[in-house]
Amino acid sequence: MCHVPTQEVFLGPDYNKRKGVALKKKILVANRGEIAIRIIRAIQELNYEAVAVYETPDKESRHIRLANEAVWLGAGPRCDYLDIAKVIKAAKRSGACAVHPGYGFLAENPDFARACEENDLIFIGPSSDVITNLGNKVIARQIMADAGIPMVPGTPNLSAGDTGVDEALAFAAQYNYPVMLKATSGGGGRGIRRIDTDEQMRAEIPMARAEAKAAFNDDSVYLEKVVIDPKHVEVQVMADREGNTVHLGTRDCSIQRRNQKLIEIAPSMIGDQDLLDTICDTAVKAATAANYFNAGTVEFLLDENYNYYFMEINTRVQVEHTVSEIVTGIDIVRTQIKLALGKLLSFGQEDVQLRGHAIEMRINAEDPQNNFMPEGGKKVTVYRSPGGYGVRLDGFVYQGYTIPKVYDSLLVKMTVHGFSWNETVDRLRRCLQNFVIAGPKTTIPFYLNIVKDPDFIKGDFNTSYLDTHPHLFEYEEEADEANKLSKLIAEIHHRGENPYAA
Amino acid sequence: MIERIVQGMAPADVVKSLQAADGYYITNTARDLSQSDFKNRILLHTDILAAPSRERAGYFSLEITGGASVHVDILRKQVDPFLKLEILREKMPTTMFQTLCRGVNLFGYRPYPQNVIRFTVSEFAKYVDVWRTFDFMNHVPNMQAVFEEVAKAGKINEPCICFSTGPEHTNEYYVSKVREILDVTGSDIVLCIKNHGGLGTPRRIGELVDSIKQTYPDLPIHYHGHNTDGNDVGRITEAVINGAVIVDAADASFTGFYGPPPILSVIQTLKDHGHTAIGIDEDAVIETSEVIRDERKHYAPFESQIKGFQPTVQIHKMPGGAMGSSLEQAVKGGFLDKMPDILHKELPRVQKELGNYWSVTPGSQILWTTAVSHVMEGERYGNPSGDLRNLLLGKYGPFPFYRPEDWIFEKVFGENWKQILEDEGGVEEIEDMDIDQERSTLNERLGVEPTDQQLVLYLQHPNDAVNFFKFTEDFGHVYVLPPSIFLRQGGFEIGETLTFTDHEGKEHMIETGPSMVNDDGETSVYLEVDHYQRQYVFEPDVPEGAVAKAATISKEEIKILAKSGDIRAPFAGNVCEISVKEGQEVKAGDRVAVMEAMKMQTPLTTEIDGIVTAIAVKVGDALQPGDRVIKIDTDE
Repeated sequence: MCHVPTQEVFLGPDYNKRKGVALKKKILVANRGEIAIRIIRAIQELNYEAVAVYETPDKESRHIRLANEAVWLGAGPRCDYLDIAKVIKAAKRSGACAVHPGYGFLAENPDFARACEENDLIFIGPSSDVITNLGNKVIARQIMADAGIPMVPGTPNLSAGDTGVDEALAFAAQYNYPVMLKATSGGGGRGIRRIDTDEQMRAEIPMARAEAKAAFNDDSVYLEKVVIDPKHVEVQVMADREGNTVHLGTRDCSIQRRNQKLIEIAPSMIGDQDLLDTICDTAVKAATAANYFNAGTVEFLLDENYNYYFMEINTRVQVEHTVSEIVTGIDIVRTQIKLALGKLLSFGQEDVQLRGHAIEMRINAEDPQNNFMPEGGKKVTVYRSPGGYGVRLDGFVYQGYTIPKVYDSLLVKMTVHGFSWNETVDRLRRCLQNFVIAGPKTTIPFYLNIVKDPDFIKGDFNTSYLDTHPHLFEYEEEADEANKLSKLIAEIHHRGENPYAA
Repeated sequence: MIERIVQGMAPADVVKSLQAADGYYITNTARDLSQSDFKNRILLHTDILAAPSRERAGYFSLEITGGASVHVDILRKQVDPFLKLEILREKMPTTMFQTLCRGVNLFGYRPYPQNVIRFTVSEFAKYVDVWRTFDFMNHVPNMQAVFEEVAKAGKINEPCICFSTGPEHTNEYYVSKVREILDVTGSDIVLCIKNHGGLGTPRRIGELVDSIKQTYPDLPIHYHGHNTDGNDVGRITEAVINGAVIVDAADASFTGFYGPPPILSVIQTLKDHGHTAIGIDEDAVIETSEVIRDERKHYAPFESQIKGFQPTVQIHKMPGGAMGSSLEQAVKGGFLDKMPDILHKELPRVQKELGNYWSVTPGSQILWTTAVSHVMEGERYGNPSGDLRNLLLGKYGPFPFYRPEDWIFEKVFGENWKQILEDEGGVEEIEDMDIDQERSTLNERLGVEPTDQQLVLYLQHPNDAVNFFKFTEDFGHVYVLPPSIFLRQGGFEIGETLTFTDHEGKEHMIETGPSMVNDDGETSVYLEVDHYQRQYVFEPDVPEGAVAKAATISKEEIKILAKSGDIRAPFAGNVCEISVKEGQEVKAGDRVAVMEAMKMQTPLTTEIDGIVTAIAVKVGDALQPGDRVIKIDTDE
C-alpha cells in the first residue's frame, strides 16, 4: 500500500529562477480538497507562498494548480497525507516556515503538532499539549468540570475488563438508559454507539474497545447520558498567545446524518438571545480553561428544555467555518495564520457583530436515495455554479473532474448570506436551482427538498430532523434537459443523420 | 347563419349543425398528408408552428393522430402521441381533433383483444373529438367496441365505408353497409366515405353520395379522398354537390402526390359552384402554408422516391397512405425497377384472386407483400406470410364478395387445406389480455410505475414503446427540435449555432465545435451548450467487413436444416416473439418464434418433436435469411 519511498521534492517550475532572489516566506498546506484551496487563498492573500502536498491519486487536483509549488508525498491513497515524517520532510525541504493542517488527516493529531514544534515549523493551531488534552474526551471533561462548565453526566474512562462493565452498568442504573458509549479518542461523530439495555452494554463494550483500538490506537471508552434529539449548537472561538479569547457567535449544526453534519447555519435560530449569549460566554470560559490558542470550536448539545451541555472542543478549523466568517466578516483562516505567526488578535469581542444569516451546504457527489453512496469514479461532464449576491463557493470540483474513489466526495461547499432568514432560504433555493452538474448524482435535489420543507423554513430542527422527515428523500433526479438534447445533437452530428428518426 | 362547430359540443348538437348546414365544412387532414407524402415524419414542431393559423382557419376538425402515426410518433419521431395532443390542444382550444382508427386493429396491423381496444380508445378519447373508424373488410362487428367506447366518452363517431371500384362495388352494396352501421350506432353519427386510394371518377363518387343521401337524407356525409391521380378536387366537388357536408384537404405548401389535395383549391372550385366553406378564414388557410413552407425542405428525404401523380392508382389501388412506405421498401430492398410489374400486373391480379376487398391497412399490406414476394421469388403463394394465412382463414372477417379459389388455399395450406379451414377458420374471439400483468411487466422494464398512457402505448407496441420511454429518459423531450436539427443529414457545420426552446420553456443555444478521434478510435464531439463546452464521446463504429459475414445459405438449405431441428430465419426481418424456453419440449408444428418483416408477422414452427436446446436470438433482433434462430434436438 504505502511503502513507496518519498521521491525527490518538486519545488515548482521556476524554482531555479527564483533561487537567486529573496524568497517569499512559504507555508505548507498539509491537506487536500476544498480546505487546501481555502488555506492556499488565505496564504497568498497574506503575501506568502503556498506549498501544496499530494498523493498520486490527487495528481490532477486543483489545489496543486493553485498553490505556488507542490510536493509529491507518495502513492497514497490516504496514507501519505497521514504520514507525519513525510509531511514534515516536505515542509523542511520546501523551506516552509509554517504548516496549516486544515481539517481531518493530521489536523487533530498531537504527534503532528509536536513534530512541527520539534522541527521549528510553526503549527497553525493550538499546541500539541492542548490538542492532547482536548482530544482525550475524559481529560477534556475533567478540565470543563473544574471550570464549572455544564456537562452531560458521564463517566471517566471505564476500567479495563469486567470492572469497567460493572462501572458502566452502575452508571446506567443511576441515570437510566439510553446512554452513549464513546471512544475516548474518537471525534467527528466516529466511535459513538447508543446503548439501551444491560445486555447490549455487556456485548458492546468489548466491541467498542476493539474498534477504538483499531481506529484511534486507544481502546479507552467512557459513557455519557444520552440527550434525546438534541440541537447541536457550537461556538467559534479565537485566542491569541496572550490568552485574549473572543467568540464569533453560534452555529447550528443539528441537521446531521449519522452524526455527520450536512447543513450548518449561523447564528443559531434559537430565539432566546440571552441563552445564546450565555452559551457563547461559556464557550470562551471553556477555551480559557483549556488554555486554548488559535481557532477552535466549542460544541454544545441542547435538550428539549434548552438546557445546554458541553460536548467537546474541536481544535481545528471546521468545514463550516464559512458561515461564521460570513456573518461576522472575520476571515478565520487568515486570523489563524496571523495568530500562529505571533500576532495578537486585532479585534475585541465588542468588534464582533453578527449581521444577517448564513447557511452552508455541502454539495457532495453522493446519492441520498441510496444511503448517500458516493459516486466515486464518475466524471463531472458539466459543472456550472450559481453566482450573484450573497453566494460563496468553496469548491474543489471543475468540469472534467472525476470523483475520487479514495477520498471524500465533496464537490463544493456553498455558503449563502442573507439579511433576513427568509431571504437566506430564498437565496439558497435559487442557488441550488442554478447549479448544473452532469455526471454524478449529487445531494442537490435532496437539499432542494430541505429548503422547501416547512420545518426547515421555520428554522425548527434538531438532530432527529432527517429521521423525522423521510419525505425529504422523495424526489426525481432532475435531469438537465439541455444536456440530454445536446447529446442527441452530438449524435446526429457524429453519425451524419439522426439514427432515431431513420 | 354560419355556425362554427367547436371542440366540446355534444355529438347530437354537432350532427344537428351539420344537418342544418348551408354549405360544407373542411377537415384539415394533416395526419394523412404526413403519412401519405412524408412517410409520417412531419414533426410536432411543424404542427406547432402551424397551430395558431390552423386554429383561426375554422376547420371542422384537424386530423392529427391515428393511422400509422401513433406508431411512427414513438418509433421515428420520438414524441409521445398523448403529449402531442396535449400540447396542440393548449395551442388550439376550439378546433376538434380527429383520429383515424382501424377498428379492431386500432392503430396497428392486427386485431387486439377487446379490453385493450376499450382501454386504448378511452385514453385517446380524452383528447380526440372525432373518431373516424374503419375496417378493411367493411366488417361492422370489427368496429363495434370502438363505437361503444367513443359514444361512452361523449365523442363523435365517424364510421367509414371503405370505398373501392370493381363490379362488386355497387351503390346497393354500400347503402346496405351504411344500414348495417346505423343499426349498430344509431343516428348521431357522421358517415365517412373512405376513399383511401383516391379511386373512381368524380362522377362515381357523386353517384355514391347521392344514393346514400336518397336513402338517408339526414345522415351527414364526410368525404375522405386521396389525390394520387391528381383528380381528388373533382371527386370532392361532386361529393359536395351531391350532399356531402364535410370534405378532407390539406395545407397547400406541403401537398404532394398521394395525400389530400390543397384546401384552397377545394374552396375556390366549390365557390364557383355556389357552395360555401362554412366558418373558413381563407387568410388563415393561406397563412398556414406560408408559415410552414420553409420547413418542407428538411423533410425532403422522406418525400416520394418517384415524383408525379399516379393515375395508374385506378389499376393497382394502392392507398395513398401506403404509397410512400411501399416505395421506401422498394428502394431499400433494391427492387424499385420491379415496381411497374408489381403495381400494374401482379398487385391487381392478387387483389382479384383474394376477393377484391379494400386495399387499406392491414389488408393493403397483405396484398402488397404477397405481390412483392410473387414477383421477387417467382413462385406465387409459395411462401405465404402468417397474415395472409390468417386472411384466408377468415380471422379478419368474412370475404365481402367471394372466397379466393381453392387452389390458393391448397397452395398455402397444403392438401389438407379443407380440414385446416374447417378446424381453424373464422373470426376468432381474442381472449382479453391481463392488463394488470402487463402493467407490472412494464413496471419492471421501466423501473417505475407506468402511467395509463404509457401502458396504452406499450400494449400496442411493447418493444417500441419501451425503447421510446428509454429514449426520452436519455435524450429528453426532443419534439422541441426543429426538423432542420432533428432530421439533419450530414451533420452540422463547425461553428453553426442551433437555437431551440426546451420542454420547460427554457431557451438554449448550441454551437457545434470540432470532432476529434483518439487513438482508440473514439470520437469526441465538442459542443458549446449555453456557452459552456461539453464533450460527447462515441465508441468507434465497427468497420464494415470486420464482422465476418455469415455465409448465406439457400432456401433449400434452410428447409433441410429445419428438418434436423436447426431453425433458421427464412427471410430478413425482426424477431418479435420467442414462444419457447430452453429445455422446453416441443411437438412438430409447434410455434417456436415469430418474425416480422414489412409489418407482416410470420410464425416459425418446428418440424420435429424434441427439446429446445438453444435460442440464438432475442426479441427485437434483426435477422438475415439463414441466421440461426432456435435449435431443437430430438429427445433421446
